[in-house]
Amino acid sequence: MNASRSNRRPGWGWTVLSTIIVIGYLFPVYWMAATSLKTNAAVYASPPQIVPWPPIFKAYVDAVINNPLALRSILNSAIVGTGTMLLTLVLASPAAYALARLNLRGATLFMLLLLITQLLPAIIIATPLFVLFSRIELVNSYPALILADTTFTLPFAVIVLRPFFLTVPTELEAAAKIDGCNQFSAFWRVILPLVQPGLITVAVFAFLMGWGEFLFAITLTTNETIQPATAALNKFIGQYGTQWNNLMALSTTVALPIIIVFASLQRYIVGGLTAGSVKQ
Amino acid sequence: MTEARDHVVPRRLIEKPAGGARLRNLGQYLFLAPALVFMLLTMVYPVLSNLRMSVYDVNVATFLSNSAPFVGLDNYVKVVSDPAFQNAFRLSVYFTIGSLVFQFTIGFALALLFNRSFPGNGLLRALMLLGWMLPTVVSASIFRWMFDGGNGIINFLFESLGLLDAPRHWLIEPNTALIGTIVANIWVGIPFNMILLLPGLQSIPDSLYEAASIDGATPWQSFRRVTLPLMRPVALSVLLLGFIYTFKVFDIVYVMTRGGPVNATTVLPIYVYQLAFNFFRFGDGAAAAVLLLLPLSIVAVGYLWLSQHEESSS
Repeated sequence: MNASRSNRRPGWGWTVLSTIIVIGYLFPVYWMAATSLKTNAAVYASPPQIVPWPPIFKAYVDAVINNPLALRSILNSAIVGTGTMLLTLVLASPAAYALARLNLRGATLFMLLLLITQLLPAIIIATPLFVLFSRIELVNSYPALILADTTFTLPFAVIVLRPFFLTVPTELEAAAKIDGCNQFSAFWRVILPLVQPGLITVAVFAFLMGWGEFLFAITLTTNETIQPATAALNKFIGQYGTQWNNLMALSTTVALPIIIVFASLQRYIVGGLTAGSVKQ
Repeated sequence: MTEARDHVVPRRLIEKPAGGARLRNLGQYLFLAPALVFMLLTMVYPVLSNLRMSVYDVNVATFLSNSAPFVGLDNYVKVVSDPAFQNAFRLSVYFTIGSLVFQFTIGFALALLFNRSFPGNGLLRALMLLGWMLPTVVSASIFRWMFDGGNGIINFLFESLGLLDAPRHWLIEPNTALIGTIVANIWVGIPFNMILLLPGLQSIPDSLYEAASIDGATPWQSFRRVTLPLMRPVALSVLLLGFIYTFKVFDIVYVMTRGGPVNATTVLPIYVYQLAFNFFRFGDGAAAAVLLLLPLSIVAVGYLWLSQHEESSS
């Protein structure tokens, strides 16, 4: 009864209820932004000032703009995020295509490898990688972080991309080959453009995961000039424990790229999330 | 790109399983090879190296030189009999169960809500995902602030509701710190549960609800008799997946409490991290990491068995 009724007329009541729930749920995000726009006095005001009016940007000046290490760490995160994104795309696209299309012995085994990776706690990878990278002097470098981060983006990317390749009609490949493409150029020129939405999903996720990654960030870097923003934020908490407006200003700055990417590419994210986690 | 054209064209006529496939297969494996090599290097090698490390006395003196002595299962014995490990294991179980119960229940309720059609559904549902997309370090720092003993909004809220007489230092008091981290983790996990349960709800045919209502079922009855039984397989796999993701949570807890106060929130991944990176007991850390992997593997096998089982029965 309920299901059929709601199908017939739009339920504004449900819209109101959901809006209230979503606002309540996102309050912590609002509270972060609000706190970042307050003076010290306003932060400690009781009762708390819910709307920071007038907004003060001093916390951003102190914690971000006049903080070279914070700025540097944001640049580092952008590099690591972009590197992770590129490496993930380069490795995952042909692999997902091979698993979707080609009759490969060992394909199941490879899928199993990917699933096992998703199961692993990052710490079990972090220690051996730290030892390995120390020996080859790769600790405190972008490649170290990009390689480590891609370990976890790659399985996700392959699992998301495979169904996209499955939907490409095999006739197209056959036609491309008649037109003189070999398997590689058919893949590059004909197949890849067709799975573009999947590639965008994977690119967005890989960037977000690289940007937000934390454990490798604190284990594979010891040098402040190479540390990503997540590690810088963590260090900031230790150093300026109770300067909440400054801390929230840096938090907001680290969150902002995510929020922007999320807002502009939302439909790829929602689709990718369900595809990546449910289907196998 | 086009130089290979001539010798490829004739072969397109050959059907997949037919002869001459070997050379073709070689080309196919080239698509997979880069990813495979990468995974061998950054996943398989570290895991094997971790296993090896767990039976050698790798510490700050021996880790760079490769000269650690073989100690058999000594590291495991040492770790298992360490009260701090037992404490960490217990905390991980509490953390995981506490998080899962609420994440799942709230996520399920929200999935039921968003399964209805109403204006703005898509947008509101997407907004919910923001909590899950934020870097966990950011979420953790927000909750650290909200749980602050001095001016945290949670103290203010509870005091205005009359639930608290005096402000509490949630994350500094040993008996509430874990609860604080669980609350933050629930917040992060709700959208994940919601978005995974939703396709399950959507796959239940409307006709079943219509049939139930024709038979005079109340909404509650059709939820009990139609929704719940049909959601069982999806719900179970979401819970198992949730277990795997929650049992290995490191970031949220570490950023909020560093595992403190006095080991009150040292969940297993933090214990492993501390052994390796604070005490440089890499051998013991590796053994502890294997022990952390054990429950995860058991649940994962259960998960695979379940999805296999579902496929064959449907």
